[in-house]
Amino acid sequence: MRSNSLTPSGRFSEKNILREKVLFAGLFVLAVAVILLVFNLLTHGNFLEWMNIKIILANMVYPTFMAWGMCFLLACGYSDMSWGAIVVLASFGTGVFGNLYGFGAALAAGVAIGTALVFLNFCIFAFTKIPSWIASLSLAMIYEAVAVFLYVGKSTGALVSAAMEKELRIFGLLPWSLIVLAAAFIIIYYVYNRTIIGFNVRAIGGNAAVARALGVNATSTLLWIGLICGLLIGAASFLQESYSGITTVKTGLSSIFLIFQPLAIALLADILQKKINIIIAVPVCAFLLYAAFNLLTLLHVPSGTLQEALLCLFIIIFAILGQRGAKGVVK
Amino acid sequence: MSAADNILEIRGLCKSFGSTRANINIDFTLKRGEIKGLIGENGSGKSTLLSQIAGLYRSDAGEMTLNGKPYSPSSPLDANRAKIAMVMQELGVVEKLPVGINVYLGRLEQFSSRGAVNMKSLNGAVSRLFSEWNLPPMPPNAVVSGMMIEQRKIIELARALSVEPDILLLDEITQSLSLNNRNSLYALIRRLKDMGRSVIVITHDIDEMLAISDSITVLRDGEVVGDVKASEVTADEIRYMMVGRNISGDYYRADTAPDYAEEVVLTAEGLTVEGEIEDVSFQLHRGEILGFVGLSDSGIHSVGKAVFGLAKAGKGRVALGSGGEVKNTRDAIAGSMGYVPKDRDNEALMIHASIFHNATLPSLKEFRGPAGFLSPARLRKLSGDIVKKLSVKCTGIQQAMDALSGGNKQKVNLGRWLAKDLKVLVLDCPTRGVDVGVKGYIYELMKQAKAQGIAMILISDELTEALGMADRLIVMKDGRIVRTILRGEDFTERSIIEVMI
Repeated sequence: MRSNSLTPSGRFSEKNILREKVLFAGLFVLAVAVILLVFNLLTHGNFLEWMNIKIILANMVYPTFMAWGMCFLLACGYSDMSWGAIVVLASFGTGVFGNLYGFGAALAAGVAIGTALVFLNFCIFAFTKIPSWIASLSLAMIYEAVAVFLYVGKSTGALVSAAMEKELRIFGLLPWSLIVLAAAFIIIYYVYNRTIIGFNVRAIGGNAAVARALGVNATSTLLWIGLICGLLIGAASFLQESYSGITTVKTGLSSIFLIFQPLAIALLADILQKKINIIIAVPVCAFLLYAAFNLLTLLHVPSGTLQEALLCLFIIIFAILGQRGAKGVVK
Repeated sequence: MSAADNILEIRGLCKSFGSTRANINIDFTLKRGEIKGLIGENGSGKSTLLSQIAGLYRSDAGEMTLNGKPYSPSSPLDANRAKIAMVMQELGVVEKLPVGINVYLGRLEQFSSRGAVNMKSLNGAVSRLFSEWNLPPMPPNAVVSGMMIEQRKIIELARALSVEPDILLLDEITQSLSLNNRNSLYALIRRLKDMGRSVIVITHDIDEMLAISDSITVLRDGEVVGDVKASEVTADEIRYMMVGRNISGDYYRADTAPDYAEEVVLTAEGLTVEGEIEDVSFQLHRGEILGFVGLSDSGIHSVGKAVFGLAKAGKGRVALGSGGEVKNTRDAIAGSMGYVPKDRDNEALMIHASIFHNATLPSLKEFRGPAGFLSPARLRKLSGDIVKKLSVKCTGIQQAMDALSGGNKQKVNLGRWLAKDLKVLVLDCPTRGVDVGVKGYIYELMKQAKAQGIAMILISDELTEALGMADRLIVMKDGRIVRTILRGEDFTERSIIEVMI
């Protein structure tokens, strides 16, 4: 069949794929530069000030970790609504243990609690076969209640907070948070694109029947995803506490709000992944998203409802651009 | 030949799915270097048998012996370890993964160290594999999403060959391939034979099976009803064994001249879909069967999609005889058009939904009551009528589509359009993956539809089918029309192949 009519002379040829990627990367960089310049013009030069850029960079670190976790989650076709509650619980752990035993304990507590709880979720998904969104909603309520109970010693619906001492919060500051981000990027990129587990995750999400028939162990893959996502959520919790120094929580699924921004980042990256590797796209999208928030603040748009509404509008516009040419119903 | 020449022996193999007995006491022998054809009606148990050999299904009873040793694979991977590989009828590929990963999915350990995959080594192996077996080269890094069904089948074939199989199982792969790649596959099968490897082929094309097989095993209702040498049997004898009665091979049209009305029901003018077809113009008349033939990249399948409004035409237009224009599928359906795509499971059917839901979907608008409500009783009657009229083998209209055999799926797929008052029906490889009985039945339905004045566009990878059924044939090459031939005028395979290649 060599070099016959199926030989990819069109869109699937090696040369064309590379050319398309390079062209898109060039256009994308140009588009980002134009967007940032427009933002700068709108804010009379305040946006591109180094101090302001530092604020955006510091803001985007922990949501980027969560968004990377969500890339694995989206790839395998599962959903987990409890990550916000897990971040809250692990951040509490970071603060409490850090204040008691120092920096090492803060790091260990955040990562261990985050990893253990996400892994537990995936064990529940894998072995009970309950739809993941239903199971994770119930788990989110449990984790929220546990966080509140542990901190105030009783169950309450009121807002409570836990602070971490300033000297423990070095990884909330630049350049350390960016160094952690860069190191994590290399590891995550490698795991997602160059390891058997990275490919198996996508195989399970892409066509579970084919994956199973070809010997991919779905349960084991799911548990691996739980471990990887757990480490990312644990790290995100530690970084969140390091950056903000305080964690607040209410019961009643209020923690779900913590998922939205990372989810928006992951969804934008998912749209871009036709052209850019999703692991690269995540920090880029995180920067753009927080740049948009920052712009709104500089333009004195009231934070909260109006900023959230404009953020959603931004996402929809971005998604429309990304989905141009897509056929049929997109679910 | 002695028993030592047998690579695979099967004795008393049984398999049931609930109350359905798919295989009953199957006895089967495969010799080293033998090409064995496996044939039977849809639902006769062919795919189940291959799936048992390939480790997809565990057998309920019976035993298999491979190279004289007991063989009982627990998974396809287990079968691969025993040097048995299968290209399945419906399995497919993982869209979001690259070609290279799809080829070695589940066996990536051989290119990895501590879980990390050496992509350079993997891609190199994939390129060598394609080259070694003369498969059309594909970039190992290209993501499968967006590739044609034929390219996907080639990836699956590469996956099977990567096992270096002693026994290769091919389940209706040829129906997904165009003429040129089909010929290349035959060469590949012959090469395997020369290497002393064995191949089991399932195909519904009896002539093809007679041409490529050494021996043929015929299954009917899950039982072996014949095991014959290909050189000692005729196509009609095979058909008789398959269905238990005489079926004439003459199921195509008997007339030799075009026969359709003057009235034009559809006009395509300068139709261009970027990268697929260019400047395609034709007219379709009432009661006409207009055939489209060509090699795999000729664009014939894109014509069907463009005419039905599924592929967006950059240039040109599709106009209906009534004056309307087809810009999308809503226009097409409003203009009394129907479309039966080649990729039945992915593009035509809601594969996990019931027959009822699939059969009624195109007619919901017509069955809407004055307040917009649908009558479940009327819909049940419609789906029941389709099942009855087309003799769909099923447990009832609530049975899920994925539980039906290929031929019965196609009956539902076709029947739901024929239940409507159509003017134009686009048929893209309507007999792909269906047995000889269903095939004849589909041709009969086409003849009836033609007699009722329905105009049909018949896109086909099988020249005999196009020649047998069409009033006019349009031959395409590289996305363009290269010749139009009228029935009765130079209407031969040879003249068409000369233009196609």
